Amino acid sequence: MNDKRQLEGGCLCGLVRYRLDGPPSKVACCHCQSCRRASGAPYVAWVTFAKKDVEFAATPPAEYRSSAKATRGHCVRCGTSLTYEHDEHPDQVDITVATLDEPDVLPLACHIWVTHKLPWVKLGDGLPQYAEWRTPDEEGSPGGS
Amino acid sequence: MEYTGGCFCGAIRYRITGEGYDAVNCHCRRCRRSVGAPFVSWVSFRVEEFEYTAGAPAEYESSPGALRAFCSVCGTSLGNRRVDRPEEIVISICSLDQPETVAPGLHIWGSEQLPWVRLADGLPVNANE
Repeated sequence: MNDKRQLEGGCLCGLVRYRLDGPPSKVACCHCQSCRRASGAPYVAWVTFAKKDVEFAATPPAEYRSSAKATRGHCVRCGTSLTYEHDEHPDQVDITVATLDEPDVLPLACHIWVTHKLPWVKLGDGLPQYAEWRTPDEEGSPGGS
Repeated sequence: MEYTGGCFCGAIRYRITGEGYDAVNCHCRRCRRSVGAPFVSWVSFRVEEFEYTAGAPAEYESSPGALRAFCSVCGTSLGNRRVDRPEEIVISICSLDQPETVAPGLHIWGSEQLPWVRLADGLPVNANE
């Protein structure tokens, strides 16, 4: 993977579009209850970027304060879950890998919050699984409510 | 059987009194992009067995006659419906209060599955619907 590669993505309806211009973190799939409920999916794949490397075109995501320290962003017109930000990492933003125009170009590194994993989700990729979250310095993305 | 569910923030709540059918994991591009996740799990119910008990979702017409429901406050994808199937509503399993109780029995749109999504559930995989 070329870390200098420019990535683009956005929501289903196209109202929110973004460009990512820096090195991505490793990709982590988060199985926590909050990610599942906030998206409506069995787990969510996240990639972390420096906030300065994330540029939104005309319309940024609508923000929702999902916990005391976290904010999630979605498209107000079509509902697509797009971003996660945590107050303890004010210079970072997590992007949902599934909203990239080419979500297959970033390889998956690990699974986090598998203590919350749904019993009918049977992982078969052999990747590391962590009980709770790992910071970007350790592996993958933050994550959590 | 009674099920309850809703969005992350609680603005929208629903109740179902009936049995779900056609529980599937969908890997299609449109579902992935709509929800923002590697795949989405859906289950269908008869519309007369379903009611919103708080709030009402926003809807986006993602293809002609197909409406996707979500919470405009917190963004949770709640379900979808087709205008040519007025008797049916499709709910995102992960918006249920107890998603562990509804296990999908099939993967659909395997032709569009992300290469790094590797599951070991032994379920059949349909290339398309």
